[in-house]
Amino acid sequence: MKTDMLVIGGGAAGLAAALAAADPRYKIMVIEREPMLGGILNQCIHNGFGLHVFKEELTGPEYATRYVDAFLAKGIDYLVDTTVIDIEKTDDDFVVTVSGRETGLKTITSRALILASGCYERTRGSITLTGDRPKGIMPAGSAQRYLNMDGYLVGERVFILGSGDIGLIMARRMTLEGANVLGVAEIMPYSNGLTRNIVQCLHDFDIPLYLSHTVTLIEGRQRLEAVTIQAVDDHFQPIPGTEKRFEVDTLLLSVGLIPDVTLFDSLKLTISPVTRSAVVNQFLETSVEGLFVCGNALHVHDLVDYVSDESHKAGLNAKAYLERQDKVARDEHAIIVADHIRYVVPQMLDFSRLDAPVELMFRTTRKAEQAVFKLVQDNQVIKEKKARYVAPAEMEKMMLDPQDLTGRGPVTLYMEVVKP
Amino acid sequence: MYDYIIIGAGIIGTCIAREMSRFEVKVLVVDKEPDVANHQTIANSAIIHSGHDPHEETLKAKLCVEGNALFDVLEKELDIPLLRTGGMIVAMGDVQEHVLEDLYKRALANQVKAVRISGDEARAREPRLSKRITKALLVPTTKVTYPWEVAFACMENAIHNGAELRLNSTVTEVVKQATGFTVTLNGKDVVKTRHVISAAGVFSDQIAAMIEQKPLYRITPRKGEYFVLDRKVKGFVDHVIYPVPNDKGKGVLLIPQVHGNLLVGPTSIYIDDREDLSSTASGLAQVRRDAMSLADDIPFDKTIRTFAGIRATSTHEDFFIAESKEVEGFYHVAGIDSPGLTAAPAIARYLITIIRARHTLVEKPGFDPIRKKKPSFHSLPDLEKAAWLDKDSRHGNLVCKCEKITEAEIIAAIHGPLGHDTIKGIKKRARAGSGLCQGGYCEGAVLKLIARERHKPLETVNYYHPDTPILVKETKVTS
Repeated sequence: MKTDMLVIGGGAAGLAAALAAADPRYKIMVIEREPMLGGILNQCIHNGFGLHVFKEELTGPEYATRYVDAFLAKGIDYLVDTTVIDIEKTDDDFVVTVSGRETGLKTITSRALILASGCYERTRGSITLTGDRPKGIMPAGSAQRYLNMDGYLVGERVFILGSGDIGLIMARRMTLEGANVLGVAEIMPYSNGLTRNIVQCLHDFDIPLYLSHTVTLIEGRQRLEAVTIQAVDDHFQPIPGTEKRFEVDTLLLSVGLIPDVTLFDSLKLTISPVTRSAVVNQFLETSVEGLFVCGNALHVHDLVDYVSDESHKAGLNAKAYLERQDKVARDEHAIIVADHIRYVVPQMLDFSRLDAPVELMFRTTRKAEQAVFKLVQDNQVIKEKKARYVAPAEMEKMMLDPQDLTGRGPVTLYMEVVKP
Repeated sequence: MYDYIIIGAGIIGTCIAREMSRFEVKVLVVDKEPDVANHQTIANSAIIHSGHDPHEETLKAKLCVEGNALFDVLEKELDIPLLRTGGMIVAMGDVQEHVLEDLYKRALANQVKAVRISGDEARAREPRLSKRITKALLVPTTKVTYPWEVAFACMENAIHNGAELRLNSTVTEVVKQATGFTVTLNGKDVVKTRHVISAAGVFSDQIAAMIEQKPLYRITPRKGEYFVLDRKVKGFVDHVIYPVPNDKGKGVLLIPQVHGNLLVGPTSIYIDDREDLSSTASGLAQVRRDAMSLADDIPFDKTIRTFAGIRATSTHEDFFIAESKEVEGFYHVAGIDSPGLTAAPAIARYLITIIRARHTLVEKPGFDPIRKKKPSFHSLPDLEKAAWLDKDSRHGNLVCKCEKITEAEIIAAIHGPLGHDTIKGIKKRARAGSGLCQGGYCEGAVLKLIARERHKPLETVNYYHPDTPILVKETKVTS
């Protein structure tokens, strides 16, 4: 099978990218591994989606439905129940192998490829919890799926490790279904979830949040029986004497999401150790020409609205790639991140095609009540943006206008703390 | 009445069961666990050691060297995975070089092939090794296997040749009768047998105490903790890398695994509790520290899980394989710590020679040594894949995307000769959930397949042990 553009993933990112790219001149196809389009939104039955994109508050499935309806109305091709198992790059094309019960095993060639495969949850193994290894410890998103898609609680007395948004949402959700949620422990001195989720999911239900605490002991041979948490010092080491023990049958982990880019294993491209996904330029194009990445597969977003925005751009850029006749000689330089900035996307600027403003998306490494983000080139501040209530959990944005630049030298982004 | 009851379905019990099934005897294997290979056999280093390490003249040395060779036979007969890595023992500085020299002499005495090389030669073969390594010993016969698959294969083959298996069956009493023994399971089922073979691992002294006044050994369990790194690190090292041994054992090793993962560990800590499989902060920190002296930049950030295993070390020091001095017809196969996995097939044969010295075992004419394993669908060439898909479209449904396991393979694990109906049972058989996301994506799909294939309600599908359901309560139920 031959296509012009293949989009891997039929969730928020893949749908927005395909919609933006839709054009009668090009054959576009979306591959989705689940039986229905919509991705992770389908299990996010809480509200709070769409405030930026639709200016109204929707649930996850409602938000997904808006995109799915628009997508189906355009008549774009798609395969559900179909998993991409391999990607190969030839001189001009990508050769993608897919597998599905109905689909069988097929190879699809495509000129452009958009990876919109979302992210996966960090597990117990990757954070090395100490103590027994019983059943009853699972990522919060898995518990969410069992509850919202299948209609089953995974436990009745619950503790949550990590204050990521899914954990917070599940604290409320399981409470509403009759479970007893005893608390949330977060190793950092601040929450890793959105402020609104702390308020609406924990405070409103009197669920305590233990900041600078972590789980230090798991008890239970076959089924989880208890967890012990302890306060940690500045070096994240448990402080003796601060132990609190909770008798629970379930420990949910909300300790981070990682872009799911295992499909990149067979491609030679530059990976960022911070985002754990591909390094991209302002077109969200990787070091492999014609390969674009967007959504949580590129970096984990706090709001689906931002995923849609970003993926819309990826779709337009991929279409521009199809339209382009000549090869581009890239002139790429990294955006360097300095003080208090954890990462920025895009990581690279291609100066050979820098003719439109570039939206920089970034996260900080610390909280600050008041701060200024500064972009520097040639020892000169070329742009700054004031910000309030900065936190690592909230993604920041800043526009870089080509006119701001003094030349083609490296650009540095940093944060100056005005009031901690 | 059975002729032999084997207590324990670990690598030792299953190897013995297979060897016994060559003969005209009625054999039953019992285990307290819900599955074959669930204690030491599922949590160890997976190494088939060369035999360079045990002191000469010991059973450990003899059976390790024989077992190493027998694994090549098992590979052919039972279709088990075997990775021929070779081993490299590395020394840093004068003191360790002396230990290495002793090890070299011991290897030669044990008739194990060994070659001394310089630190630079070691790094030429393994570029990631530390600059501080000054000498190394190469032992080419070291291999790596997938231990519980070996136990499954042995048990499957033993069953194929007439042996029986009872799981979830704790031995609560063994009584010597006028002829033979009665063995009580779970305090209620009484089974009669002419002989008892105890291969009960860390519990073997407790079994012995049921029948002997003065057992000749005690089990002093030692725990070992490990990290498992993702398959992405494949090729970090190609050999099994050992430090020079110390008084506590072989030390922390780097062990390439058959599926591409890297195992780093173990520690060696005496413990009181024989089922303490907990991970400890201090143990894991020690593994990191010790491993870092072997190689630079070990990618611990690619850790997908940690685990602990327990070795059935005994006060006897060497393997204890003998008929009871007190009770005729009761056989001990105890104190099987490292290199127990390597020695397992040789231990089984050695026990048979002990038995045959006093009893006649008649060979079974129809014994079939072969167990065939279906290759994994995604390891097949494209043309074969297409042919398989034509026959069974369920190969198209990829359930575990990290390890590329299809619905058809999971169904085979549910219904296979040693089929299982739990999440972990399927993980052990089909590897679904063994990859990067550790079942985060496929656990629910596996659960539904088990429920569908075994006609069970979703909330009765257990993680592993009885009464460990994943789904505990259905919501939105109208009464």
